[in-house]
Amino acid sequence: MNHKIIRKFNLTFILIFLLGTSVFVIYPLIYVVSGAFSPGNSIAALSIVPFGDGITLKHFEYLFNNTDYLQWFKNTLYVAVCTSLATICIASLSAYVFSRFHFVMKKQMMMAMLILQIFPSFVGMVAIYVILLRIGGLDKLWGLILVYLAGNIPYNTWMVKSYIDTIPKSLDEAARIDGASHFKIFRSIIFPIARPIIIFLGISSFTAPWMDYIFPKMVLRSSNKQTLALGLYSSFLTEKKNEFTNFAAGALLIAIPFIIFFVIMQKTMITSMGGSAVKE
Amino acid sequence: MQIAIQTDGSSRKKVMLTSILFMGLGHIIYLKEYLKGAFYALIEILMLAFSPIIVNKLINLVTLGSPQPDVPIKMRDNSIFMLIDGVIILAILFIFVAIYIISVRSALESYDAYCVHGSFKSEKHIISSTVQKAFPIFGLVPSVGLVLFFVVVPLVFSACVAFTNYAAPNNIPPNNTVDWVGLSNFKTMFGGNAAWSTGFGRVALWTVVWGALATFTCYFGGMIMAVVLQQSKLKIAPLFRTIFILPYAVPAVVSMLVWANLLNGSFGIVNRTLIELGITSSAIPWLSNEWLAKFVCVLVNLWAGFPYFMLLITGSMTAISNDIYEAATIDGANQFQIFKRIILPLVLYQTTPLIIMSFTHNINNFGAIFFLTTGYPVVADSTTTGAGGTDILVTWIYKLTVNLLKYNYAAVLAVVIFVVLAPFAIYNFRRTKSYKDGEL
Repeated sequence: MNHKIIRKFNLTFILIFLLGTSVFVIYPLIYVVSGAFSPGNSIAALSIVPFGDGITLKHFEYLFNNTDYLQWFKNTLYVAVCTSLATICIASLSAYVFSRFHFVMKKQMMMAMLILQIFPSFVGMVAIYVILLRIGGLDKLWGLILVYLAGNIPYNTWMVKSYIDTIPKSLDEAARIDGASHFKIFRSIIFPIARPIIIFLGISSFTAPWMDYIFPKMVLRSSNKQTLALGLYSSFLTEKKNEFTNFAAGALLIAIPFIIFFVIMQKTMITSMGGSAVKE
Repeated sequence: MQIAIQTDGSSRKKVMLTSILFMGLGHIIYLKEYLKGAFYALIEILMLAFSPIIVNKLINLVTLGSPQPDVPIKMRDNSIFMLIDGVIILAILFIFVAIYIISVRSALESYDAYCVHGSFKSEKHIISSTVQKAFPIFGLVPSVGLVLFFVVVPLVFSACVAFTNYAAPNNIPPNNTVDWVGLSNFKTMFGGNAAWSTGFGRVALWTVVWGALATFTCYFGGMIMAVVLQQSKLKIAPLFRTIFILPYAVPAVVSMLVWANLLNGSFGIVNRTLIELGITSSAIPWLSNEWLAKFVCVLVNLWAGFPYFMLLITGSMTAISNDIYEAATIDGANQFQIFKRIILPLVLYQTTPLIIMSFTHNINNFGAIFFLTTGYPVVADSTTTGAGGTDILVTWIYKLTVNLLKYNYAAVLAVVIFVVLAPFAIYNFRRTKSYKDGEL
């Protein structure tokens, strides 16, 4: 009997703890949603009770009619898709080479990749700017893609290489005896087996451009070339003005697809993350 | 053209010398590999043809141009272009040397094969075997090329800038030139100038404390949530997990900006709510008091960062075999003991590399600081250094580059980050399985 009471007490305690944490987690998000639908303009005008001022769709209308929001969305999607696909191709190919071949300077190159990935890429901002200026990549989306792609390679090559290391070499050898070329082995054996890590790589390089601010600010000048993070931040939340509600409306529209995606993918992410940790 | 060589290996030296003398020469005159030889020779001819430009660029790299006050601004020497071009030329020379070494090795390999077989391979055979052998090169060219020109060159450039006086107001090209100044920037940062060295000490210390606190709180926050959700055996645990994933799913820029608005001192939602509820009578300076702002940074980062570790630890906990739990339960261990003696050590062991990675990530976590506090509030040395109370090294680098145009000091900070973080990266490298197995 006593045992049962303790168990019940424990359970109540855990429930309170979980509910408390949920409130902490949801607290700011609820104001994004209520801000997006509130009639006011700035954070100061927003009611402290969510949805306390009634509901309006005027901020969404404003986004689509008076700003380049749709264009920003298209630009970001374009940059994200291209970066993601190119990163998958280039990083997995070089990971395969690093995992399966022996060549001079291999160890030094691996070490260099590892050290390079600790730097945030904007440390070399000035030089990247000048190089893009030289090759005509300023204010072009492909210039931005090139910068992201190069920044993605060191870490992702490492990650995919560690995964390919766990694939038995006997598979390649069997295929080689059957006369398959290196590229064929990569394409039809290694690539399919490494799919979990490649999906992870694809997702992580797809999501990054949606959140980045520094490089778009540096590379892209015209308003119709901007990406979402840059457009939202520089149009609505500057030192001079605070249009929190417009910002919230724009942010909500990006966040919803992301949230749906993450909720659906959570099982896959748990297994792939757990798996990659164990394999270290 | 064909000159006879011996099959007993005695001509090895001859082949090597000719290959070193001119790239591809050994292939053409001794080994009958005309196509390959011509390709290598073409590369060397190109290099020789461009050598005046290369030498010129290298000289510019050393001098960084001279001041020309009487020349129109557009035509003056631009030191920064010179510096970048010089670094690019060095990268190209590096590639050239690598190709040179490859060509000599390939000539020697062909010669060794000739010694074994006693005959030359046909041109067709050579091409097909070259394609197979060159696969690693083709596989690496795109990534090495991109990394070299968009990561290495910019980083080397910025390391070089640390030794120049490239800063506003007196040394900004194209109006003025930039000069090498040796270690004087480092001296200024490390004690030469009171404001700069106080600022540096303060920011560097906070960066390390921030990195450690942010990693620690997110890791253990995530671990507690993962363990509680798994051990509670609640039917609605998946619902809670879904709620807790939300911060991970929302783009960081968005969530940080939202927090910044909610916590705004004068008209933020949090303060207005607290005043309305009568909990406090005056506004709490969440982001404008130095220490409170630091605390808020860690707390908000916990909000944003714990879901990642929750997922990660849930994953590695499900990878622990169920037998271990059962054995422990049979032996009479309670849930706390199971956690302390089994889950914690196993999970810690598995996730150590990721903790270190997360630490380096947090040291460089630009978004978490910049979009929440923009590095402020202002402190004593901010007027000179531009660094606020919550600035970490990377946000300071950003401010120095974009606002103050003190490129030289920004570069010094980048070098400092490198010195601090490289050991962690190398430690992780030495822990990897392939390194331990001696495969590298």
